[in-house]
This record gives sequence, C-alpha cells and structure tokens, in this order.
Amino acid sequence: MFSLTGRPLLDAMDEFTREALSYVDSLYGTALRLTRRPADAEDLVQDTYLKAFRSASQFRRGTNLKAWLFTILHNTYRNMRRHDGRNPVDVDSEFVEHAPEPATGYSPEQLLTRATLDADLQAALDALPEAFRQAVWLRDVEELTYAEIAEVLDIPIGTVMSRISRGRRMLFERLQPQRLAAAEENM
Amino acid sequence: MRKCQDLDSLLAGYVDGDSAPADRSSVEAHLVKCPPCRERVAEQRTVRAALAASRPALRGCAPPDLRSKCAAYAAAHERPTAPDVPPRRRFRVSRWVPLSVAATVVLAVAGVFLFSPNNRVEALTTQLTLDHMTCFQLAPERLQHADAMTAEQAWLAQHRWGIHVPDSSTANQLELLGVRRCGIGKAGVAHILYKWRGQPLSVFVVPRTMHGPVPDEPVVRFGHEAVVWSDRDRTYVVLTRGQPSDLAAVVGYMKANAR
Repeated sequence: MFSLTGRPLLDAMDEFTREALSYVDSLYGTALRLTRRPADAEDLVQDTYLKAFRSASQFRRGTNLKAWLFTILHNTYRNMRRHDGRNPVDVDSEFVEHAPEPATGYSPEQLLTRATLDADLQAALDALPEAFRQAVWLRDVEELTYAEIAEVLDIPIGTVMSRISRGRRMLFERLQPQRLAAAEENM
Repeated sequence: MRKCQDLDSLLAGYVDGDSAPADRSSVEAHLVKCPPCRERVAEQRTVRAALAASRPALRGCAPPDLRSKCAAYAAAHERPTAPDVPPRRRFRVSRWVPLSVAATVVLAVAGVFLFSPNNRVEALTTQLTLDHMTCFQLAPERLQHADAMTAEQAWLAQHRWGIHVPDSSTANQLELLGVRRCGIGKAGVAHILYKWRGQPLSVFVVPRTMHGPVPDEPVVRFGHEAVVWSDRDRTYVVLTRGQPSDLAAVVGYMKANAR
C-alpha cells in the first residue's frame, strides 16, 4: 500500500502526473479567484485533476500541460455556474469594452512603488470585471500565451488581447485612489 | 494613422513583445504621434511588472492536503499509455520572469523611502526579498568564492561610495560570493551575497537612513526572514530563507563588520 505523501507513490508517478501536480498552487489560486470561496476552490481543483487523470490519453503531447489543465478548470467552472443558474461571464458588452478612459494623475513609477504591495494588487484585481480579471490573470500571473488563453476562455484571440489591454488599464486606474490615500496618510 | 481605440487589441502584444512585425510597426507609427497612447503603453508595462513581482503572493498556496488528495486521483486512474515525451518546459517564461522582476525592483526601491512609516519596512523588505531571489537565481554559476578586500575596492571604484564587506567566516559557516548593485539611481543598493551553511544569504547596504521605527523582530516576507537595522546614514538588511533560529549570530557578525 502506497502512502499518499511518502516516497513510494512519488517514485511511482510518471512525468505527466508529476508535472500535472506541480500546478496545484496555480490551479488553486486561479480557482479561488473564480469561486472566491476556499471550499469551492478546493472542489474545483479536485474535479479538474479527476478529469485530467481520467482523460490523460487525450492530452496532446508537446502542447502545454498547464494550459490544458487550466482549460479543464475553466470548463468545469463554467459548468458549475450553469448548474447554479448563473450566467457565466457576461461582461463582453460593447459598453465595457469601449468605455471611455478617465485621465490619470500619477506616473507609472509613482504608482508602481505603491502597487507592488500585494494587498493593493489583490484588491484591485478582485475589483475587476471577471472577464478582464481572467484574461490578465492568465497572462500576467500564470504566464499563458494568447493562444492558450483563447482556448482556456473559449474566446477569439483578438478578444483576449483587447481584454488584456483593457484589464491592465483598469487595474492601473483602480490602483490610483489607493495611491492617493497613501499620499494623504504621509502628509 | 490608426485610431486610438483600434489599437487596444494590439497594445498588449506590443507591451509583451509578442506582436507580429506588421502590427509592431503599425503600433510604433501611431505611438510616435500619440502621447496618450505612449502613456497607455507605460501603464501596461507598470501593471505587468507589478503583477510579475507579486506573482508568488498573488497565487498563494494550495491547502497542504489538496495535493495529496489530487495525487490519489492519479493513482486511481492508470492510464493506458504514459506520454513518452516529457511535456514542454517553460523556457520562454523562465527567460523573462527574472528580468521583469528585476525591472520592478529597480523602479520600486527608490520609492520605498516615500512610504508611511508603518509601510516602509514592509516595502523595503518586500523589494529586497525579490532582489535576493532574483540575484541568486539570475546567474548562480557566476557566484563563486570572493575576497572581501577585492570586492570593496571594485565596488568603490565602480559606484563611488564605500562599503565594508564582511569577509567569509568559518566560525559562522559563511562564504562570501560577491557584491552586486541593485536598485535605482547612481547610488543603488549594495547587495552582498553569501552562502551560509549551503543556503543563500544576503546582506543589503542601503545608503539612506530609515526614518521611523525599525522593528526589533525579524520581518517575514515570502518565506524569507529579514533583519533590519539602521546605523548612522545607512540601513542594513540581513535576509535568508526560512526562519533559522540561529540567524542572530550571523546578524551580530554583520553588525560588527559591515559598518
């Protein structure tokens, strides 16, 4: 009998399993951002691995395993939400994509000194509309390519790129008031 | 000339360096004539760098037993054929991540001293922890035994402000590996790299006074422990991974020899 965490099981794992399991932090972090509840995030990650190992023979060798796992995770999440009766990701409107952009008051350098504080970034990310948060997250935190993100989110690559642009812009804007508050604190 | 709105989908690729040549020229032609779009490019770069720098903290950690639960699914599903080619490694990623982290650190250290007193130590140690990880990660093969005197002279000649580099110490199991410059401006921050009982340890010399309270207790950032103190017009930080109980002896050695 193998222990789940001991050497024998680890030795018995093949490269595929080992690499797949190395993304558990990434998948959990992403799941938490989607579901916002630790228990739901754990369920989502477990469902993802269950499906991944069950259908491992469908994985195309030479493609990115991480992106494949993310695709399963996002599909599972979309199904979960459909069962909940909620509409998955409904912000792809003309209004949001082409909303006017407010003027900014701080230079990127000034902002960055503040934005590198994780808590501010977390808050700003959480405040983004879901579609933009997902695109920026997959690109800038999880480092997937545009093509991989298009597959994970099931949207055209042009939309991916425009959401990343708009998402980063919104993130920048959302970090402004915090910067302002910090400046006031210092006075 | 393209309209600014049409540029949206092209800007991300341009910022990431992933544009097709035609798109790239098209963006560049627009940027020459459009200061607001140049600003948007700078903003995107900022956000991208900030996210990259906070990546480990943003991702967080899965609960400890989640991995073993998922591993159990693997054990339960014997696959008909195991892949004979190992899945693609992330070469592209490993190339630019340390660079973008470094870029962030360069911009951020300058701002650390503008923070409110409570945030200052936190911000400084965050940046220096990233520096510590970046420097040890970027070129480990270049880190070999170094001589303190030579390092001090080289530093002074190159950067025009002097530092005392505490030498290797057998009693403290410390081996000096070299000095690098981190941070922004002419002065920057002196990053002295050591191997301490086989693990990376950094001493940072910041040529500024830390205004406000400096904590007596070590600060823990991203799984690293940092001890901060100020002495005359300098701020010093000793930083290493984990929370070793006997770091105090090393800190004592550095306090005596770094000033």
